[in-house]
Amino acid sequence: MLTHNVATPSSLCPIVSYDCYRQVSNRLLFPHNLNHEIWRANRKLKGCRLKASFWESIRSGILKNNTAQIIEPPSTLEEEEEPLPEEFVLVEKSQPDGEVEQIIFSSGGDVDVYELEALCDKVGWPRRPLSKLATALKNSYMVATLHSVRKLPSSEGNEQKKLIGMARATSDHAFNATIWDVLVDPSYQGQGLGKAMVEKLIRHLLQRDIGNISLFADSQVVEFYRNLGFEPDPEGIKGMFWYPGY
Amino acid sequence: MLSRGIISNFRTPTFPSPTTTTCKYSISDEDLESRGFFLRRTISDLNLDHLNSVFVAVGFPRRDPEKIKLALEHTESMLWVKYEKTQKPVAFARATGDGVFNAIIWDVVVDPSFQGIGLGKTVMERLIQDLLEKGICNIALFSEPRVLGFYRPLGFVADPDGIRGMVYSKKQKKKK
Repeated sequence: MLTHNVATPSSLCPIVSYDCYRQVSNRLLFPHNLNHEIWRANRKLKGCRLKASFWESIRSGILKNNTAQIIEPPSTLEEEEEPLPEEFVLVEKSQPDGEVEQIIFSSGGDVDVYELEALCDKVGWPRRPLSKLATALKNSYMVATLHSVRKLPSSEGNEQKKLIGMARATSDHAFNATIWDVLVDPSYQGQGLGKAMVEKLIRHLLQRDIGNISLFADSQVVEFYRNLGFEPDPEGIKGMFWYPGY
Repeated sequence: MLSRGIISNFRTPTFPSPTTTTCKYSISDEDLESRGFFLRRTISDLNLDHLNSVFVAVGFPRRDPEKIKLALEHTESMLWVKYEKTQKPVAFARATGDGVFNAIIWDVVVDPSFQGIGLGKTVMERLIQDLLEKGICNIALFSEPRVLGFYRPLGFVADPDGIRGMVYSKKQKKKK
């Protein structure tokens, strides 16, 4: 499937403020181990090592206005050589009733195809055979996901987890990678999550030394990807499709 | 930009037009073989240094042969033409993808000495057919502006429905 409409926030502001309790803010930096029924085997969670500058940027934001923020790594991290953690908390917010919701990014590719199908339905994509969907995921070089995890402090260990975003890339493992199927649950759009997810995916690909990252964007999301560093028709090079059925 | 070397004892073969409707390709496998061109679909017989030379001859940067090997090992479909006389690859094309929905064609090359006789069309027609037979119907590629006219007769359309091919550039300034 071609890259579809994702979050196209009118203001591409990556920092979102949520009300939170200060003691909860520390959990933003710890990797979150999820136990859940999945289609594919769980990959081992790598350690989460974050640079001091990263922590400082979060801490300064928190001390300033007592709010949690989306983890938008400062641009200095682009030359970071440490491997990115495979899974980490992107944002955390607390409700007045004590319920905590975390948005978790993962590049481990743990996708439940039934959940993915439901998500595709939500964004209005035509149905695809589940077995083919599973095969496509298995054959993808990298699958990035966003999950929402909700839990009440009273129900220890009891948490609700659902898939709210996905992006995947195919690749020859050496030179080229192409990003497909970028989608975010409409209820979670407009918060910069799609942008964060694609940015992390790109960074993971770059860390694996894949130099050429491409995608095909519907006209209404060209600007979204331009703001992420993608250039349409570089040097006049055109994307072409074989007998597209439009 | 390419120096077209002419091999002195090589005469440009004129491939006959398909006379039967059963031949689905512009040039049949038999016609190709009769002129010393053999089709291959795997890397088993492929000399990567020779392939790299063809890439360089058409203007690609010379790439690490180990990386080329890695890329080809993770390429789901490829097609190349071996010239019997020299045992070297003279045309090549490959496609990556997820094996069910999408495929992108990369590295379409024809040795400059063998251009203009239909070998590019030969590999492209067959690569597309191989992908279709796998059930993949979303076949895409990135075309330099000067070869748009090569891909169009093969059935490719640029920017269909306003869809744009985009490439990530590390140097691109990100707007905040």
